[in-house]
Amino acid sequence: MLSLLIFIPLIGSLGVVLLPASMKSRYKWITLICCSLELLLCGAAYSAFDPTQSGYQLLERADWITLPLGSLGVVSIDYLVGVDGISLPLVLLSGVVMLVGAVSSWKIDARQKAYHALYLLLTSTVIGCFVALDFFLFFLFFEFMLLPMYFLIGLWGGPRREYASIKFFLYTLAGSVLILLVMIGLYLSVMDPVETALRVGLIQDRSEATDEVIRQVQFLLSEYKIPSNLLVHTFDLRHMAKGGNYLPDSFLSVAGEVMLMGIPSRLLAFLCVFLGFAVKLPVVPLHTWLPDAHVEAPTPVSVVLAGVLLKIGGYGFLRIGWGLFPDGAAEYALLLAGLGVLSIVYGGFNALAQVDLKKMIAYSSVSHMGFVLLGIASLTSEGINGAVYQMASHGVLSAMLFLITGVIYDRTHDRRIDHYRGLAGAMPGYTALTAIAFFASLGLPGFSGFIGELFTLMGSFQSIWLPGWMTAVATLGIILAAAYFLWTLQRMFFGTLWFRPEAAGQLTDLDGRERLMLVPLAVLALLLGIFPNLLFDLTNSTVADWIQRFSIE
Amino acid sequence: MLPIILLSVFGIVLLFLGFLKTRAVLLPAALLFILIALGAGFLEWNKSYLYFGDMLLINNLAILFSTIVLISAFMVVALSGDFLEDEMAQPAEYYAILLFSIVGAMMMIGYENLIMLFVGVEILSVSMYILTGSDKRNLRSNEAALKYFLMGSFATGFMLFGMALLYGAVGSFTLTDIKSYILLSHGRPSLLLYMGELLVLIGMLFKVSAAPFHFWTPDVYEGAPTLFTAFMSTVVKTAGFAALLQLLSVSFSAIYGFWWVILAAITALTLLAGNLTAVYQNSFKRMMAYSSISHAGYLLIGLAALGQQSRSALVFYSLAYSLATISAFGILLLVAKQHTTDGRPDESYSAFNGLSRNNPLLAFVLAVSMLSLAGIPLTAGFWGKFMLFSAAVDRGMVWILILAVLMSAVGIYYYFRVVIAMYFREGQAGRIRVAPFYQFILIAATALTIILGIVPGLFQNIM
Repeated sequence: MLSLLIFIPLIGSLGVVLLPASMKSRYKWITLICCSLELLLCGAAYSAFDPTQSGYQLLERADWITLPLGSLGVVSIDYLVGVDGISLPLVLLSGVVMLVGAVSSWKIDARQKAYHALYLLLTSTVIGCFVALDFFLFFLFFEFMLLPMYFLIGLWGGPRREYASIKFFLYTLAGSVLILLVMIGLYLSVMDPVETALRVGLIQDRSEATDEVIRQVQFLLSEYKIPSNLLVHTFDLRHMAKGGNYLPDSFLSVAGEVMLMGIPSRLLAFLCVFLGFAVKLPVVPLHTWLPDAHVEAPTPVSVVLAGVLLKIGGYGFLRIGWGLFPDGAAEYALLLAGLGVLSIVYGGFNALAQVDLKKMIAYSSVSHMGFVLLGIASLTSEGINGAVYQMASHGVLSAMLFLITGVIYDRTHDRRIDHYRGLAGAMPGYTALTAIAFFASLGLPGFSGFIGELFTLMGSFQSIWLPGWMTAVATLGIILAAAYFLWTLQRMFFGTLWFRPEAAGQLTDLDGRERLMLVPLAVLALLLGIFPNLLFDLTNSTVADWIQRFSIE
Repeated sequence: MLPIILLSVFGIVLLFLGFLKTRAVLLPAALLFILIALGAGFLEWNKSYLYFGDMLLINNLAILFSTIVLISAFMVVALSGDFLEDEMAQPAEYYAILLFSIVGAMMMIGYENLIMLFVGVEILSVSMYILTGSDKRNLRSNEAALKYFLMGSFATGFMLFGMALLYGAVGSFTLTDIKSYILLSHGRPSLLLYMGELLVLIGMLFKVSAAPFHFWTPDVYEGAPTLFTAFMSTVVKTAGFAALLQLLSVSFSAIYGFWWVILAAITALTLLAGNLTAVYQNSFKRMMAYSSISHAGYLLIGLAALGQQSRSALVFYSLAYSLATISAFGILLLVAKQHTTDGRPDESYSAFNGLSRNNPLLAFVLAVSMLSLAGIPLTAGFWGKFMLFSAAVDRGMVWILILAVLMSAVGIYYYFRVVIAMYFREGQAGRIRVAPFYQFILIAATALTIILGIVPGLFQNIM
């Protein structure tokens, strides 16, 4: 089922490429159908998922690459996908946001073939990122997400698109280089106990691998009894999360005696992974690509970028940073939470200062994603549940907010806040939905944003790693959010109707397509706000289990 | 051994074919000859023979390296259709010299005796001097040839001096004799040996354009006719690294502690010099010259971290690099012909502007080859880097690994400039007509790059 999620858009993308140009009008239908199928499949995955279990579910596995490397043993890379309570909400979110993005892409006229092929490719890689359980596979999707995104911004973007796209590309790339370094280090340090048992001859078949056998292999490993050419190195994230599979004396061994520049290599590796994903989240001061990319990107790409792509940063923190290096996470909890708070406050103040509506929303994203980092860094069950919740909630809300800027930009090609006043008179429906989105984003109880922020703040307040003043400072973010959203609402929508003469006659209210995108998102935000258990039920047991065995053993 | 004899004979045959009125027969003949040599090489697969008074060793490793050389040469010759139409060109001579130079490359790959190495290097180098200057009416080409010749002979001098010193220490030119001398010297080999090794290394590092012996590369690459630049940057590099691998792994592995530091320093320097300078280039061809320096740096990692894994990593990397480089130069050849400034082909980045509009296939081929050179996953180049980096980590050279990974990030920047030009910029490039066979070669190279990127194990199984 999860493989279908990855391959349907991929096949759709190929289909768009292969279809002759005379069938130009069909491209957007292919995108729409693929994305609708995706959402249906997400629903199926949701119903097949058993939320009371904490492990990975819906696993699918196939051997992919097995490279013998002489004295280094064997490298094994699997095609391995599966979901747990942390990744499933994000998969569902991607399903929703990608479909909204597909509807929003309806208006793209230039180079439709390339656009829709790239959009579908992006869909496939985004989903792939969330379901991949093999580090190499994950990294592949992570890297290949860059290419379509780079082209989508660079070809269909605004006037400074070239600058924005290369900046986006280089920032993320620099991050992924750090992740690559850690990936190489990890695969050299981790063995696959089952495959190694096969090679050593303890078992004849994979199905014979019981816990007993695995323990035996791990014992042999710790006693240096397995010759290095029989070791099977793996990228499997499940094996990487278990300390017993780390080679003694290896680069990232659990004992942590290997030092680099006077810092234990494991801590350094954690920092590398953190920096890599921090670019994506983004964390201040690595966020400067985000406003540029958002301002230049076309509306659907902004929706996807804010709605889903930023979440890969948070997901990477949980799955790889915190999941594989809990020692690092605990060591640097204070620093990380500090960066989270900095993002919240700095993003908020910057949003307050913007005159471009889209840039304002981009900075509000920085601020809201700061809560995610704060929640994760708190290392409490509330904090991490809240962080996942905040990611899902922000995905829905930021998609809405960027669609809202898209609406005004489509009509007048002008997004400056001070170029409009009293829009409520001309566009009542638009104003209503904008107000809902703004209130939901600033954390009004009853909407999803409130729950996410509340739980991350609760988590950070309870955390034994963080001082109380940090949470206090972070709450400033909520006040700032209220300030910039309400002020914008007041400036643009209230008062007597006024706009620049060029915009005359263009300010029509929402059409059916725009309603179709915005209303379901608003309903979703409300639904999540009133019934937070819809998501918490999914995440809770995974997170609880995760917190309980929060160590690499 | 058979391919070497065959190619020498074929070269002479080609010269005589040049007397024929029609030039059309030359290209297919040259291709056929290379194919025959390729097939003949595999007759000795899984057998290990010493030839020519124990001076030449043909084993599987040598055959693999020779295969890469022959494949590169085949592609280069296949892309050379233009010569047949050019009045000034003398294709029979070019092809003959190319075949002779392959003989030299194969001797460098399979040598067992330093004399053989020297003869091989000389055959290859002299051929390259001639081919560099083959565009006789172009001042740049002449300058490049002279520069290459002067610097190259100097380097050869170093190498010869080194060999003499080695002979002084060991009393033999044979690689295995050097090895046993070192083993029998109880850790105190003569100083001459160290000096000799260093000088030979310097000579060879010059040939593969490692820093700080790389200054000739950009000028020579830029001045030489593009096709021969492609040949130079692939065949010479592959042969050079095969020779270095042979020298270091057979003779000097016992004094690894002495030379690895030097080689690691040169590796770091090469990576830095190649990648950082490439960023500032405005000409695609010059960028490719610096990129070839940087790839010499990556390949050097495999030598500095010499181990069991180095062989397969070096073979794989050479193959990936050759495929990508030749297809890149193949596209450059086509594109530069379309835009001429002052009668010279335009080889700057801007020549590629808007290529994707009317020539999506060419743009795609070049994009894949750039991705492979940059080491993006799912291309052969990624796995090449992956294997070399693993070798480095296995030796505990984490610093080299970090530097190399950072430098490959820098690499992505300048390789993507071409991609940006092709896809984002507006250009007036019309549809470029490409001969079917030319197109086939480009597609085959691209397909191989992608296949090796998705299933690298395919190749590993052969090793």
